[in-house]
Amino acid sequence: MNPIDRLFEKSSRSLAQRTARRGFLGLLGQVLTGSVLIPLLPIDRVNRAEAAPTKSGGAIGATPKSGSNDPQNCEYWKYCAIDGFLCSCCGGSSHSCPPGTTASPITWIGTCQNPGDGRDYIVSYNDCCGKTSCGNCECNRNEREKPLYRLSRNNDVNWCMANSDANYHCSVSVILGVSEK
Amino acid sequence: MRIGQFAAGALASLICASALATEPLSSEELSVESMPPKGNHWVYVIDEAFYNEIDSRVRVFDGDTYRHLGQIDAGFNPGVIISPDGKTTAVTTTYFSRGGHGTRTDIVEFTDNSSLAIAGEIVLPTKRAQMQPTYFNLAYAPSGRFAYVAYITPALSFGVLDTANKKVVTEIDTAGCALVIPTGPSAVSSLCDSGRLLTVTLDGTGHEVSRALSDAFFNADSDPIFVQGIPAAGGYTFLSFNGQVYPIDFSGDKPVISSPWPLVNAAERGVWRPGGQQVGAINRRLGRLYVPMHRGGEETHKEGGTEIWVFDLDSHKRLERWPVSAEHLNPVIAIQVTQDDKPLLFTGGEDGTVAVWDAKAGHVRHTEKTLGQSPWFFLTP
Repeated sequence: MNPIDRLFEKSSRSLAQRTARRGFLGLLGQVLTGSVLIPLLPIDRVNRAEAAPTKSGGAIGATPKSGSNDPQNCEYWKYCAIDGFLCSCCGGSSHSCPPGTTASPITWIGTCQNPGDGRDYIVSYNDCCGKTSCGNCECNRNEREKPLYRLSRNNDVNWCMANSDANYHCSVSVILGVSEK
Repeated sequence: MRIGQFAAGALASLICASALATEPLSSEELSVESMPPKGNHWVYVIDEAFYNEIDSRVRVFDGDTYRHLGQIDAGFNPGVIISPDGKTTAVTTTYFSRGGHGTRTDIVEFTDNSSLAIAGEIVLPTKRAQMQPTYFNLAYAPSGRFAYVAYITPALSFGVLDTANKKVVTEIDTAGCALVIPTGPSAVSSLCDSGRLLTVTLDGTGHEVSRALSDAFFNADSDPIFVQGIPAAGGYTFLSFNGQVYPIDFSGDKPVISSPWPLVNAAERGVWRPGGQQVGAINRRLGRLYVPMHRGGEETHKEGGTEIWVFDLDSHKRLERWPVSAEHLNPVIAIQVTQDDKPLLFTGGEDGTVAVWDAKAGHVRHTEKTLGQSPWFFLTP
């Protein structure tokens, strides 16, 4: 089991012990379905081909478009429905949390198109938790984002809510797999 | 140089002599202000403090004198609501025991609006919905006797609070439906992904008696409604991403949902749309609806308005289009209006500027750059 599978498995179990509601099971199903796809992933070539990083977040309220190869840029393709601070500007990367934080076990899910290979990828937008707001590289994009009543597609709520240290620090976008059409 | 020194010395002597000729300032007594009587044009500016979210606050501001009257602390991802009698502000929030980390305490704090002093609290289970403020994170029953607080764990439910005895009465499962909209004297409605309203009716002790689902009235796939409802006569009005208006009367035991009407004509549909965080405001006396509108596709539902469109609620006609750039403002993310017949409009911009508008003439009277770093929800008491 890869580390991310272990993370999901462990955190989902502990969460399941605390909650037993329909809404949660639906959400969990989506997250777990995504997590087993991880070993099959194609290589994230755009990420590896990144240019020298620059710090540039999107203005609040504006809608940047996909078009950057820089994971510290709000326009980076994986961030198509992210709302918060980019962990890549906070000591983490586009898919890793900064030192000393904890990853949220629950998340919202999106589909973003990688202009590098033309494929649609299912990504999970996890929050990194347990420290106060990072404040760098604010990014708010909302492709296919839905209001709170469709929770698994919502980026307004604090996804650190189920962590033992529930403060929100920053957000990552983790590829779960290729979206099958 | 010498002449300069001489001149400076002479000036100092003159000032000294002149000071001696007047009475000294009398000694002062340190005191604490109480709040002045409430004005018609007050606004509560909820600052989410997006760049340091544990430090949200509510600023009380007078739109006539442009004075900052006081502050209510609001912690992390708060919900804020004013009691039906106007005497109390209730804030639901989260505090961490070590500031930015540590044990989480979820709470409702009550502030006396005449003094802005804390007047009690209710400690909640650690389940409250941590999200941007709306009218429905925390809501009072019309009597003020009970309040309701939205929970997300991520299971969706709500807490019933006894405001007199400062206690949590019970938790009610909402079967996947979100938020707390007060309905009639003793019911709570929630918005469901199926496009319906779930309404839970409570007894005199705050416990569930019955529940009912409305017919589906919107489609969450093709045209979802914003959860930011707008207080309207007898209820709340909701806007959809594509600009449909859904008036709902919540004054009876069952919500009554009117037929929707459009903000946009056929040519504008899909081109112009509402967006932001507080997406509309209604002056009930004049029957006017104010909506920040912008050009953009579906994914731009959180973008600020480049124009404010004004509608007559009876005829559904658009009366005005006010480009915000003409008033030297950045796009508008939040909007609120006072309820008198010479109303002021308040807007919160993408850049954090709060603007005070004449809501009839459509001109900005005043701007504030430092009322909050992210002042994107307003209440008019």
